[in-house]
Formats: sequence, structure tokens, C-alpha cells
Amino acid sequence: MAEKGRVGQGLRLCRSCRQFVLPGESLCRFCGGDLDALEAEHSARQVTLRRAVDALKEALLGRPH
Amino acid sequence: MSDVPVRYVSEEDLTDRVPVSVVWEITLACDLACQHCGSRAGRRRRDELTTAEALDLIEQMAELGTREVALIGGEAYLRKDWIQLIEAVRANGMECGIQTGGRNLSDEKVAKAAAAGLQGVGVSIDGLREVHDEIRGVPGSFDRALEALRRVSAHGIVASVNTQINRRSMPQLREIMDVIIEAGATNWQLALTVAMGNAADHPELLLQPWELLELMPLLAELAEDGRKRGLFLQPANNIGYFGPHEAAIRNVLDEELHWIGCTAGDGVMGIEADGTIKSCPGLPSPYAGGSVRDRSLRDIWENADPLAFTRRRTVDDLWGYCRTCYYAEVCMAGCTWTAHALFGRPGNNPMCHYRALEMDRQGLRERLVKIKDATGLPFDHGEFEIVVEPVPEAPPPPRRIPDRILVNG
Repeated sequence: MAEKGRVGQGLRLCRSCRQFVLPGESLCRFCGGDLDALEAEHSARQVTLRRAVDALKEALLGRPH
Repeated sequence: MSDVPVRYVSEEDLTDRVPVSVVWEITLACDLACQHCGSRAGRRRRDELTTAEALDLIEQMAELGTREVALIGGEAYLRKDWIQLIEAVRANGMECGIQTGGRNLSDEKVAKAAAAGLQGVGVSIDGLREVHDEIRGVPGSFDRALEALRRVSAHGIVASVNTQINRRSMPQLREIMDVIIEAGATNWQLALTVAMGNAADHPELLLQPWELLELMPLLAELAEDGRKRGLFLQPANNIGYFGPHEAAIRNVLDEELHWIGCTAGDGVMGIEADGTIKSCPGLPSPYAGGSVRDRSLRDIWENADPLAFTRRRTVDDLWGYCRTCYYAEVCMAGCTWTAHALFGRPGNNPMCHYRALEMDRQGLRERLVKIKDATGLPFDHGEFEIVVEPVPEAPPPPRRIPDRILVNG
């Protein structure tokens, strides 16, 4: 098949106001948030959350973590 | 085994143009008389595919890589060989579901369909009893639909509900959700009523663009509430686009999922009961790519120009507000079906949350006014125009009546 299908451009989710912005933006056009900084904060929160969930699982299974 | 539903269309699927989901109207015969029916279903088409032609078509779908076939109508179970078609879809390695009004979906029919391998049933419920019966044109149809939903669930088939969002059903969405959860539904697909077929004759049913300002926060709330209660809300392709609730309402697999534009003709295929191939089941005849009676399915899918509009569309093809929108390059004016039904051409879609928000920010709103009637044929449409007007001032609050009236003396 010669003609390829269209793949829509991926957008970036602002972790503050939860609106999508074009990938080239550094500040959210809706809330003015610093997109890189917000993403870094979000990633750190996710790591903490995953650790807490793992610890909880271990505790429920009666194993020390 | 992956947890991702087979209907999920990946980037690779889109690039390779795999018709992952096929929506197949197997008959136009119907036992309901819905006010919003785009295909004006009722009587079967005179030239519907024979069983042999339908079975051959199923093999052709499998060869193209289709992973899921949804049998619709009309009413799918009114076609005598519908069980045989389900068996054939499953035998060819594809998932199979049906969409139904459920009026005569007896326990015997459900049992036979389950034995044939049917995996999912979507029952249409468009309001609470009075509204549903009125919209569906048959008294008692609400109760029959709910009974069908319970039967489907009892047979271990995935029970879904489809709901049309319009001016009658929108105020009842929360109560509808409670009712369908109680009846065993686990998926809820919501779609805006589109001004096509019978719906074009009932403009009073259609939402106005500014009503999305109320609808979208409600859907986000229902999506979150539904998830907690085991019901997954699935917005159809004509619900959107962007705005503050995009992540919440499209969050089935991943909160970073967002609308990426119409995928008709790249990942989705529609088929009419006479073998006409389209890129989306709702689109009108200008989008028909040909008939499997004249050409192979592969030939139509790969080469028919009317199926190629999605991949060939550029921002320059958009018009009106959508042409200059911040999201134009990604969105491409949302649902082609919705836009075409309103204006007779795609590329400008006022049924958009972001657009309504931007209008509202300027103190404006868009009103759709019908200027031309539909002709009365299946998949026909009238014509609407957009009137941009100031947002009316809110009525003053009612005068407070004092608890007691003080009388001098």
C-alpha cells in the first residue's frame, strides 16, 4: 500500500491545568505554567507513589521491603 | 496477553491503514422508529448482500487485518443469518459485537448469539422511560431495552450501552448512568445526535454548540464516577475537542490520550447492507468508495478516492473557525460526519468544546439554524448556518419574597 495513513501529532498535557498544548510550547498557553518544571514535579510524584504502592503491597503480603 | 482492547488503533495501524474496526450495517430492517436515525432504518434494502456474499466479505475483512466487527442495522438480529455471520467473524479470528435497540432480543436469541461466539452487545438507551420511548418511537421500548441489557449480562457477554446525547437525554444522563449500572452495563458509549436522516427533521433535538459548556464538565464528572463504579465511559468521535476535560473524558487507557483527528478510512471502515464501502458508517453517499459486488474489499480500501479524505486533508482544507484554531493541525475539524451533516461539506465543526469556550470568553456563542430540509432518504441531511451572537445576559435572580411582611403600627 503506497499511501500511508495520517497519524495525528501528539500534544503535551499541562500537569497544572490539564489542558493540551502543542509540543513546541514551553509555557502553557492556558495557565502560564512552566511545562518542563511541571512535568518534572509530576514524574517525581509518580515515583513516590509507585514506591508507596510497592511498600503497601509488600506489607500486605507480610514481607519486609 | 495484552490488556489493550483490540479496537485500540495504534500509530502503526494508522500508518499502515489497517481497518482495525469495521462497523457493518447487515440490514436496514428495524423494529423501532427512532427520531434521530441517520439511516432512516425501517424496511430492509432491496439489494442487501446474500449470505454467500456476506461470508465472503468477512473473509476479505480478516485478510485486511480487521480485528473487530460490529454488526449494526437497522436491527442486526432481523437478518435471518445473523448468527451465521457472528460464527463466521469469530471463525476468522476477529472479535464480534452487535449494536441493538433490544426490542426483540429474546433470551433465546442471546443464548444462540453467545454460543456463536458473540462477545459484546451494545444496547441503545436514550433516556429514562418516557423520553426513550418517545425518541425510539415505540411505547415500552425502554423496558425491553433494559431487559435485553440484563439478559446479555446474564449470559456473560460484555454489556454496553449507547446513548445519544441531545436536548431530551442530556438532562437525564446522570440518572441513565445509575439505571444502566444497576442493569449490568460495564461500558457506556456516548455520542452527540448528528443532524442526519430523521434527526435532520428534528432540529429541536440537537444540542446547540454553547450547550457543550454544560455537557463536557458533566461528562468528565460522570466518567470519574463511572470508573469508580465499574462503568467505562467512551466518548464517540463526535464528542470533544480539547478544553480542560479532554484528558478526563478520553482517559480509558492513558491520561495523555487526546483527540488526534478523524481516523475514518485509516483505522475504521463502514459497510452498508448492500456492500457499499465507506470510511465511516455514518457518512453519506459522496463518501462511498464502491461496492464489494464490483471490486474486492482490498481494492476499494486501498484505492478508492472517497475513502482517502482523512489522510489527504490539510489545514488549507478547513474553513470557518476551524481553519485558524490553535488545534487545527491535530484536530482537523473533529468529526467529519458531524460537520458534513450540518453544512454539506467537512472542515468546520462548531460542536466543539474548545471553540465554545473561546467564543464564550469573547462574550459570544454560535447558534445553528436550519436553512434547508433533508430530502427524506437514508443518510441524507439538510443544511444549517451558523449565527454568531452575544451570550444573552443571565436572567435576574427571582425577587426574594420576605419571610414576613413588616407592617407599621
